[in-house]
Amino acid sequence: MKRLLPVVLLCALLVSWKPPVSLSKIKKAKKGVELVSGAAHKINEEEEYHIGRAVAANILGQYPLWKNGALTRYLNLVGRSLALRCQRPETYGGYHFALLDTAEANAFSAPGGIIFLTRGIVEMAADEDELAAVLAHEIQHIVARDPLKAIRSQRLKALGTFTAGEAVGSGGGALGVFQDSVMDISGTLLQKGYSRGQEKSADLGALDLLAVTGYDPGALRDMLEKIRAVEKKKVKAFSAHPSAARRIAYVSGSAGPAGGRNGREARGARFRQALARR
Amino acid sequence: MKKTAWFLVVLAATALFAADKALVVQVLRTRLLAQPDFLSASLCPLQKGNRLELLEAQGSWYQVRSAGGVKGFVHSSAVMESRVTLGGIAPGPKGASQDELALAAKGFDEGNEKKLRNSTGYNFADLGWVMEQEVDVPALARFVRDGRLK
Repeated sequence: MKRLLPVVLLCALLVSWKPPVSLSKIKKAKKGVELVSGAAHKINEEEEYHIGRAVAANILGQYPLWKNGALTRYLNLVGRSLALRCQRPETYGGYHFALLDTAEANAFSAPGGIIFLTRGIVEMAADEDELAAVLAHEIQHIVARDPLKAIRSQRLKALGTFTAGEAVGSGGGALGVFQDSVMDISGTLLQKGYSRGQEKSADLGALDLLAVTGYDPGALRDMLEKIRAVEKKKVKAFSAHPSAARRIAYVSGSAGPAGGRNGREARGARFRQALARR
Repeated sequence: MKKTAWFLVVLAATALFAADKALVVQVLRTRLLAQPDFLSASLCPLQKGNRLELLEAQGSWYQVRSAGGVKGFVHSSAVMESRVTLGGIAPGPKGASQDELALAAKGFDEGNEKKLRNSTGYNFADLGWVMEQEVDVPALARFVRDGRLK
């Protein structure tokens, strides 16, 4: 009987076995998430969350937070409506949207999905669809993990040379790299800017995201026209982005998805209502 | 001796088959949903590390069964494939997973974030307020419907 034990177990295994979901199906399902991760894929979700929090805290160290509960709630409703439909709807700590109290027209996305819009850009938008266009562009940077790509490769190489003890211990090695990485990202978000390729991808991705969410993709062009008008006056707006004229050229050149005009007026009414609560 | 070897082979094969269909929640919190749609009914909350049995992949969604036997859907961005480990039958480091070890080696963790709290130029107090601003699912569903969104 004892000799039969392996055979019995093997039979039991075969009887209970169901064809596994094929790996190709799993890979297909993950495609949208993994294709966009590029060179930054070695930083996992949890690491992205922690560095994202530090970058967000650094941005809040430079710009005052606009603690308007009602307007922040509205911003989160618009932002999360979009995030649900993007290629990366779930991040480690989820998407969070907040306002910065400055007249400068700008928007920043910290790793993991903490997205800031300034009072200046919110007041520049004419309706909810234009506000959504700005948010969709920033969400696309999160989908592509663009903020992480701002970390200089030497930082990650340096981390590889630490032992686990050095990294978690009191030695400053890993903390120094962590801080330097935060500075790499903040420097890119606030001053240097992403590459033109990254910005173009975020704009074109935003057109699709607006359409799939039910917003008018044309709102991105409408918003860029406003930014161009401000740029002509030499006022500081989206200083770390390519010129609005350049962006309008490729946004207009893209065939782009249609639709979303239905309901734009109604959404505009609730936008004005939300802004009235300032 | 031969019997023990056979037994280990069968156990290893069982572990491999089981692991082939297992997923692990990789985000802090998510929900097991009734339909492959974020605005559908929530069946139960899930948190980081929860293991799920993969039943079927449907586009970017997985139909899964929770440890409690509840069948539902999770989005692929919330889970990762469970690594094949023979931790139960082979000696190895107890506790830390491969991911945890990688995290410890890199230092992009809560420990270093805490050390930054006292540094100038960082405002973690206001960040706390930002992270507290939650929107519940029924309110989001109403917002989507009222705005004629999808």
